[in-house]
Parts: sequence; C-alpha cells; structure tokens
Amino acid sequence: MILSSNTNSNEMNLTTYITDPAGLEQFYSAVIGAYETYGPVETFGKFEFRKITSLAGCNPDPPILSSMSVKALFFPRSAKVLRYRTTSSGTELSDTAEDPLAGKRVILGVRHCDARALEVLDRVYKWDYIDTDYLNRRANTVLISTRCDQAAAHCFCTSLDYDVEHLDALDVAIVRGTDGKIYLQARTEKGEQFLKQHPPGPADAAGTSAEQLRKQYVTFENSFRLKMNYKEINGQMQNKFESPAFEEASSTCISCNTCAFVCPTCHCFKISDERIRDEGVRYKSYDSCNNIYFTLMAGGHNPRPVKYRRWRQRAMHKFVYYKERFDLNLCVGCGKCTVSCPVNISIFEVANRVAASMQ
Amino acid sequence: MEQLLVPTLCTIERIVQETPDIRTYRLKFKEETLMERFSWLPGQFVEFSLAGSGECTFCIASSATRKGYFDCSIKRAGVVTADIHNDLDEGDSVGIRGPYGNWFPLEDLKAKNLLFIGGGIGLAPLRSLIQYAIDHRNEYKEFSILYGARTSADLCYKEEIEEWKANKSLKVILTIDKPEDTWNENVGVVPKILEEVVKPVVQNTKVITCGPPIMIKYTLLALDRLGFAPKDVITTLEMKMQCGLGKCGRCNIGSTYVCKDGPVFTYEQLKKLPDEF
Repeated sequence: MILSSNTNSNEMNLTTYITDPAGLEQFYSAVIGAYETYGPVETFGKFEFRKITSLAGCNPDPPILSSMSVKALFFPRSAKVLRYRTTSSGTELSDTAEDPLAGKRVILGVRHCDARALEVLDRVYKWDYIDTDYLNRRANTVLISTRCDQAAAHCFCTSLDYDVEHLDALDVAIVRGTDGKIYLQARTEKGEQFLKQHPPGPADAAGTSAEQLRKQYVTFENSFRLKMNYKEINGQMQNKFESPAFEEASSTCISCNTCAFVCPTCHCFKISDERIRDEGVRYKSYDSCNNIYFTLMAGGHNPRPVKYRRWRQRAMHKFVYYKERFDLNLCVGCGKCTVSCPVNISIFEVANRVAASMQ
Repeated sequence: MEQLLVPTLCTIERIVQETPDIRTYRLKFKEETLMERFSWLPGQFVEFSLAGSGECTFCIASSATRKGYFDCSIKRAGVVTADIHNDLDEGDSVGIRGPYGNWFPLEDLKAKNLLFIGGGIGLAPLRSLIQYAIDHRNEYKEFSILYGARTSADLCYKEEIEEWKANKSLKVILTIDKPEDTWNENVGVVPKILEEVVKPVVQNTKVITCGPPIMIKYTLLALDRLGFAPKDVITTLEMKMQCGLGKCGRCNIGSTYVCKDGPVFTYEQLKKLPDEF
C-alpha cells in the first residue's frame, strides 16, 4: 500500500489540529459539556457505550476489542414498534414514545472498525425502503475517536477492503504522534465544522503533521498478526457453497448467537409481541441466523435445520452475499465475535478454511 | 424503521371455511379512503398481524380488479395461524402492512396461453392472478387451471371453482390423491395428471405454479419432460419473512431478498440461487 501523506484530507480541505494530552482532555470535557455525549464506560470488564456527563468513569480510548459495538446506539437491541389494547369495541394501536436516540449527539471512543460497520449498515438501510430512524440517528451523530496504534490479537480490519489512510467513517480521528503531540484530524465535512467550533489547539496550516501521521499508519499496519487477501477469499468462497469446511468449522458452535449480538454489522432482527392481558407491546429486537428458529416456518419446514447450514449462511453473508448485493463486505475484521465466542470460533479462520477447502 | 413496521387496522368482513384447516378472511380497511387507495398486483403479499400473537406473511388471494376488499387464505399451521383461527370472528380487527414484494410478470403473460398448476393452499396466490386474468380475459389465449389436493375436502375455493367450471373460456382440471366414492374427476397426484391428462401445449404457454414443496419438485420435473423452458415456468416462493422490507435478513437466499426480489420468480431465476431451499 502506498502511504503518500494525508492527501485525502488536503483534497477535501479538511483541517488537522495539533494539541497535547492535556489539551485533548480539555477538548473532551468541552464536548461533554456542550453535547449529549456517549462514551465507553466499563462494566464487568467490558466497555459499553453509555451517556456520560463527565470523563470520570469513561475511557475514550479503551483497550481494542473490549468494547461492545456502537451499533446499539443506531440499531437498538430492542425497540418498541407499537402499543396495542384490545377492548370490547376492537383493537386500538398507538405509536410508541419518541425515539430516545434521535437527538444531536457526540460519541467518543468508537473504534474505526466499529465506525466503518456503520458505513456498511448504511447500505442496507438506504436500500429500497428507507429506515429514516436509523438515518436520522446517523445524521445527528458526530463520531470522534482515537486512532488505533496497535492491532489486537484478533483484529484484521486492514485486510477487508480498507485503505489504512481512509478514516472517513469517523468524523474526527485522533492520532497520537510519536513526538508526544496529539493530532485531531477532521475526516468528514461534519467533523470539519465540529472542530472549527471547538478547536482543540492550533490548526496545522503548514501540513507539518503529515510525517507524524504517516509514521503512525506504518507502525499500525505492521502490527497485524492476522492478514488475509480478501479479494482472493471472496473469489474462492463464491463456489464453496457445498464445502465440507462449513461443517468442520462450525462443529463446536453451541448456537448461543453471541457473535451476532456483538457484531457491529449483523443487522437481522425479529418482530415479537409481548402481551399482558388486553394490552401489549410489539418489539423489534436483534436476532441471528445461527438461531435454529430463524428460518423455521409454520408447519415445521426449515430450510436450515442443521447447524452447518446456518453457519454457511453466516459466513457467506459476511464474505460473499452482502458484497454481491451492496458492494461492501459485511465483516469489518474487528474480531469482536472471536473474542466473545465461548468455544473460540474465529470468523477469520472459518473464511480461510472454507476458501482453502475442496468443493 | 419502527414506523414502517406499524400496521393499519382492517376489519374482517367475512370468513369462509374453505377446508377443515383453511379459512379465507375477507378484509377491508377501517378507513374507507385507505381501502380505495390500497392497490396491489397479483403475487404481492401482506404482513397480517393479530395483536398479542404476532405477524405472519400471507399472499393476497384476490385481485385488485375486484374492488373494495382483499382476501387472505390462511391455513392453520403454526402458533399465530392457530390463534387467528381460534380467536378471530367476522367484525374483528386485524393489522395489515403492505402490499410488499414483486408480482407476476403481467406484461410477459399477455397474448400467451396460461396454465395454472396449484396444490392445496398453493392455489391462494394463483387465485389473485386467475381473477385478474379472468377480468382481463381478452388479453390472454388458452386458459387452463390444474388444481389438486389430498382429498376433495381439502380443495380450496370450492364455490369459485364451480364458477370457473361454468365459464366456457376456462378449462378446469381437478384431481385428488386417492379415489373417493362421490368423486367423478381425476385421481392422482398433480404432476402425474399434468403429464397424463392435461398434456399441455408448450408453444406460447406460460406456466404459473404454486404448491407444497414435494408437488413443486415433481411438477418441475414433469414440465421439463414436457419441454417447457425454465423461463416460462413461474412460481412464488414461501419463505419465513418478518419485515417484508428487505431489512430483517430472514428471507435471504444468497444475495436475494425473497421479500423484495420475490416472492415471484421464474424457474430460470431460481436455478441460479444457492441450492438452499
């Protein structure tokens, strides 16, 4: 990969600001004071995105892989669709209260993989029927995050269609220079406007930060343990539908669905009713294709009755089908599913195994 | 998205007990202006919800050329359909979202011979197109309907079938799996009757079929033997669906969304999909 300074930013007229660790902390505090802000808060050793009112208790630069995906702030785990009441005169339906996630807000500490996952989800929510709730939440959110310095054990984001310098999924990318300085790069027009209003330090008008940013990119890219040639994997997997590798790779899966819930791009949901006497609520909640009930039809027919077929759907959707349909990969290589899997199934390994298998 | 999932209330105008386990629900929007604006094409489906039980996907079993109502034929098969059968009476309200999905390729069918092949509840989606085609009869050539069920009691739309039989411009062939004392028509499974009795003309004919998977499987083989090209055989898929909007991921076959790209497919299109169903 050619690393030619940050030409992207220059072309787009996006500004980089220079500050130091103390300045960054002040910047965070100013943001938290001015906006509804969410950030990674530690709970039972995992970081979850919660609303914060100060930096206390929040780590805007949490260890990679130990945070939950930010998708829940755009695609809630469980959302109320409607309320209903059955009376003697019939059924009454009522919409639920206003969307609690619709306001202007800032989210700190979103890893770049997680932010890229939102770009991937944009495609399905913009396709045909428009999910306006989701798109409003996207439009009203500014994503600010520290650039990873070092890949974690299960990271492979750089392998998946992603240019290491392309950080546009974040509105503001924070880079720690080896010179001890902190660089805040506006990566989108939204980020540019945001930083203009809340300048964290002097703007880098002369472009002296370019060398520092480049060094950081190189160090980061060299730190990956896992690498795959995605184009090759995609090509090979296309005709491996009947591969025995799906069965081998998924044999230890306990169908707990954790991978789908922690995955930043998994977006399958179910619609279910909860009724108490004559009143009830209809919910839209996360679901997973690894769930045996996912495709079970009334009358008992199930096209994916066995585990390997469900795993095949998962792996093929991630690495082949979504790409075919929406031209982006449905896996961003964040490694969250792998670290959360109770039986240590690695999606990286499954993809490689299937790609390398005999048909 | 949540807004898109909110149904609109409809009233059940009439319930017809078609077979021991199939009922047809004639529905009308509570707001009359909505009923006038509600338009669909044969092959499309709705999400039908019974508050407290959940939502189910049903094809619209009637044609929009018959104004002021729409029909859903529902077989008692699972949890929600059992609740629908047990709890709903004429005059009750249900929620409806739709219409969703694609429709039968009406343009391609013009000036063609139409051969409908249905089995059991599989006649429901075909009925929408049959009614539509009857109401535009002069746009089509020969018009035949082959319909089969396990027993004579399991045949849907018995009254309407009598009307079809009385209509001189249609050919109706009925069959049941095993002989019955009072049954004077064909006996044998649909694919067998297709090859041995119907012996359809292949030239300029489009086949529209729907039925249980086992019937479809052997019917496709029979059609192949008769010389029909896969592009001239059209079917509508039954898949587990929930949102109907191309979002929830449930009906995916490969990169195809059955709820958006389907449920109507030609056999030629189906052959290109991963062999999952």
